[in-house]
Amino acid sequence: MANDTKTASSVQSRMKLRDNITRYFSFSAIVILLVGLSLTQQNFLGAANIKNMLRDTAPLMIMSAGMTSVLIFGSIDLSTGAMCSVSNVLFVQCLNVYCANLPPWLATICAFALSLSFGFFAGLLLGMIHVKLKVPSFIASLGFMSVWQSAALLISDKSVSVQKVMWFATDWFKIPVLGVIGLPLVLALLIVGLVYVIQGHTTVGKNLYAIGGNERAARVAGVPVDSTKISVFVVNGLCAALGGIFLAAKLRSCAPTTGDPFTLLIVASCVLGGTALSGGRGSALGTIIGVFTVALINNGLNFIGVSPYWQNVVFGVFVLAAIAISVDRSVRGLTIK
Amino acid sequence: MTQTMEPFFSARNITKAFSGTHALKGVDLDVYPGEIVGLVGENGAGKSTLLKIIIGAQSPSSGTMTIHGRNYNPRTPMEANQEGIGMVFQEQSLIVNLNVAQNIFFGHEKEFSEFGMINWKKMNKAAAEVLAEVDAKDITPNKKVLDLNFATRQIIEIAKVMNVTKAKAGRTCLILLDEPTSILNEGEVQNLFIQMRKIAQRGHSVVFVSHRLDEVLEVTDRIYVYKDGESVGSLKTRDATEAKLYQMMVGRFTNTEYYHLESQRDPEEAIELETRDLGLHGLFKHVDIKLRKGEVLGLCGVVGSGKEEICSVLCGDEKPTSGEILLNGKQVQFRSPKEALEHGILMIPKERLYEGVIMTLSVEANIALSNNKKIARGIFISKKKIAAQANSWIDRLRIKTRGRKELLLQLSGGNQQKVVFSRALASQSDILILNHPTRGVDVGAKEEIYALIREMVNTGKSVILLGDTLDECIGMSNRVMVLKDGLVTGEFDAPVNGKPSQVDVVSLMM
Amino acid sequence: MDKRINRASMSIIDEFTEKVRNENIKEHVIKTAPLMVLAVLVVVFSVACGASFVSKDNLVSIMNQLAIPLVVALGLTFVIMIGSIDLSINGSVGMAGSLMSCLVLNSLYPNMNMGLWGVLLAIMASMVCGIIIGIIHVKLHIPSFMVTFAFLYICKGFGMLSYQGLIPTIRDPLLVDAAKASFIGVPFITWVAVALFAVCYYIQEYTAFGRHIYAVGTNESVPRSVGVNVDMVKIKVFTLAALLFGIAGVIGTIRLGQGQVGVGEGLMFPAQAAVVVGGTSLSGGKGGVLNTVTGVLIMTVLNNGLVLLSVNPFIRTALSGIIILVAVILTIQRNNQIISK
Repeated sequence: MANDTKTASSVQSRMKLRDNITRYFSFSAIVILLVGLSLTQQNFLGAANIKNMLRDTAPLMIMSAGMTSVLIFGSIDLSTGAMCSVSNVLFVQCLNVYCANLPPWLATICAFALSLSFGFFAGLLLGMIHVKLKVPSFIASLGFMSVWQSAALLISDKSVSVQKVMWFATDWFKIPVLGVIGLPLVLALLIVGLVYVIQGHTTVGKNLYAIGGNERAARVAGVPVDSTKISVFVVNGLCAALGGIFLAAKLRSCAPTTGDPFTLLIVASCVLGGTALSGGRGSALGTIIGVFTVALINNGLNFIGVSPYWQNVVFGVFVLAAIAISVDRSVRGLTIK
Repeated sequence: MTQTMEPFFSARNITKAFSGTHALKGVDLDVYPGEIVGLVGENGAGKSTLLKIIIGAQSPSSGTMTIHGRNYNPRTPMEANQEGIGMVFQEQSLIVNLNVAQNIFFGHEKEFSEFGMINWKKMNKAAAEVLAEVDAKDITPNKKVLDLNFATRQIIEIAKVMNVTKAKAGRTCLILLDEPTSILNEGEVQNLFIQMRKIAQRGHSVVFVSHRLDEVLEVTDRIYVYKDGESVGSLKTRDATEAKLYQMMVGRFTNTEYYHLESQRDPEEAIELETRDLGLHGLFKHVDIKLRKGEVLGLCGVVGSGKEEICSVLCGDEKPTSGEILLNGKQVQFRSPKEALEHGILMIPKERLYEGVIMTLSVEANIALSNNKKIARGIFISKKKIAAQANSWIDRLRIKTRGRKELLLQLSGGNQQKVVFSRALASQSDILILNHPTRGVDVGAKEEIYALIREMVNTGKSVILLGDTLDECIGMSNRVMVLKDGLVTGEFDAPVNGKPSQVDVVSLMM
Repeated sequence: MDKRINRASMSIIDEFTEKVRNENIKEHVIKTAPLMVLAVLVVVFSVACGASFVSKDNLVSIMNQLAIPLVVALGLTFVIMIGSIDLSINGSVGMAGSLMSCLVLNSLYPNMNMGLWGVLLAIMASMVCGIIIGIIHVKLHIPSFMVTFAFLYICKGFGMLSYQGLIPTIRDPLLVDAAKASFIGVPFITWVAVALFAVCYYIQEYTAFGRHIYAVGTNESVPRSVGVNVDMVKIKVFTLAALLFGIAGVIGTIRLGQGQVGVGEGLMFPAQAAVVVGGTSLSGGKGGVLNTVTGVLIMTVLNNGLVLLSVNPFIRTALSGIIILVAVILTIQRNNQIISK
């Protein structure tokens, strides 16, 4: 990069422009979609639909919050969806199995604990392999994607419902707050808020952006690169696990492939929220916008009655477009570590 | 080795500027047919830059070149090849998983394709012919480069270059060799010289860049000496001696005020950092350092002497394979720069752009990189403290910036370096390893940095300094250690009134 | 003193050469390891499963099973050799298969009867995807894993769109017969795979393109400085890979007899594992199709043996992921950073 002030300032303004375009892209997409859909479709802005839509975003919101940090320091975790699936089936199976021997409240706690521990250890394992054994994150998480997908199928190879006696363990999902906003979304926003605080106001967050900006320089400057990276993967694992629990609560059942389509949606949300794949930029707050954009598109397409088969195509194209806009073209050979 | 009246290649008044600094300030070079020309000079004297300009990998800021009387202005190495100029770069450019023939003819496979299939036999035969030209008949063309040693690879590189430039036979070609002997042992070096002489006998010419003066004196016909981006002069090799070359290379009037010699104090007796028999496999060994409190210890050596790697080991970036490090008498082991920092050792790295600054962060964020303890309470950072710290350093070091929130990529090189220094000082480390601290920095900022180093040391810090020039190293240090090929070859005291001469130091470096 | 320094300094260079030699030894081990692993597997399963493993029927079965994974792994090999990766396999394969089944004589669209043209069109569709992937990756500088990951969904979507949930059964007589045809005991599908392997080997060893692939994977700046169009090489590689994925989809669907996107399911992880286990390094510039054949053999024999031992199918699928992890951990060069290009 040139030290020449003229080119340097134009690089910075180009960066700002690009960030703004991405953010305004999402904002304007939301506005256009909201306006367009509410005008052309009846009941789109009806309470029922809005309530559903907002509640639906909760799992995506939580998981995207975790992934944002991973992207900021320049890595990626492709196994997030699979971890979500495992946690999903684990939670429901635990509820159903333990309720036979334990009082319901204890069974619930066990189920939560088990799912969250899984997320913790899955993230820890991935982090250790990436950091200590120096395996690039995309291939390591690819390997784990396969392992966790199979693990989910091992735990339960078909959809299982929560037994009636344990329904209270999932009923919290329906608690309304402020009318249309449900408890899940509030919790999700709290978690995003927590991530935001960590990113912006703690030493860990400061280190995160440093590592994402230039890992080598951060390391030489004495930033604890290894422990920061591992912690972020652990948090991502926890978020994935939490997402799986939320999904189980929403449907009051589990399915071994629940989480699989989420990985792409999570990446889409983060990128649309201004987090670059190359690292060093992005924030949890931006991710909120990205999540709403994605949710709106999803919900909108459903509402219109677009064949679900188009959704795959739409999201794939959308993600590529969002990344294409946000990629820093002056960087040759993006390094995903 | 005939010498006709006219040089077949000429470069006149070549300058090369990189935003603020001049790598070349106007150099000339003439090459006659059939001769071997040596190019010597300190690091940063401009030798490599000139070669890159001649081969078309970089373009000059001004100046002209002619070959065979015609104007020569290559925009790519391929254009240079077409004119008969080829270069063997210091970094190996062979594809290791392909065989010898495929490497020699890489990019020109079309000549050997018949009906869409490459005729390997034909290519191997052609390769054998090319290798025979450089008397390398014992290299089998279909052997994978991966299985060959470095000396052989070097010969293949030369053969490849000879082939690429000899598109029209019977024309004088110019072969540029950039530090070809750095990874060769004595016997292999001699073989290389035999090849070079053969090339010259055939009427072509070689430009040979090396930091080993004994080699240059052995194999060349004429020698050019460069210093600080300028050509000091050229002389016939038979008129040259090592002493004379040293004098030309480094003879410089040391400005005492520039290095703030009046502030140089003697260090305390207490030994702060010590290494015993420190070694890193393949890079350096048997290194014993004693760094006293308040001392500036300069490490001098050419690229590849091991001084950079010693710094990496001391700051925790690499683990040594032998020996030990002692801090205030206690043995320590660092698994990462973070641990070294906790013990009070921090390095300012050489490649500012790649490992010194984080371009996407602001000035205040960069300054606060290394001192989490001071600006945070528990895990929560105090934005106020970061801001105060940044403002204070911006003032103290007179960093030219629009504000503490400005992104690093906006600042000039010198000011970026000042930010790096701020960070190092803000970390309150006791031992600072300064790796080429004034590289790419303008003269005014350089002097400020020298004054800063003096101040640091006089307040009790200790510094290990890798100087950008020999002059700087000697001028700033209390003591100087010289390294060559991974070993310590000498130590000099450098008190204010007893600085060693540059000639003495250089003689141990090369 | 000079002599002492000389001898000691020579040993620094010798130390360096020794370090390089050790790395070369590691390379040689990596080269021969896959064959040893295959041999060990064969021995272990022969002992553990006895006659059911070494029977002629089982050997034919193994050859059947490895046909499609081999074709897919061949395409993936070239991508990995240039240092990139392709995650779109399941989608590409599924899309080609579904498209073909809708274009030939089938139960869902009775007016369609394009025969071999249908087959060709389906393969071309895949190839076009490959071209687009290559262009997006090269011109827009988006890492290959991201582009191909997005295309996984895009292709799957197109595939599902073609039949909209109503699975078409293939009625074209030529194709129905092809599913059952065999030559000297080996089914037609496997012959196709063998032929494709020969073609790929030719491309790798006897064309300039093949040599350029090695160069681009080793160090992009070298071929660039010699005038090789590195961008075109990359685009061609992704196109070739997609072409092979398309063919895999087509022959898989012929064998299945009906068109559904699921024909591509479960192909990606074993293919990745096969390529890595065979010795083609993720950092690029090393390995090749011969290595991949060994890798595919290892994965197929492993799967076959585990089926005979009645191991839970989900454990078998998890194995691919574990093998990928272990193989990469063992073979990665710690000093080289794998740039995900």
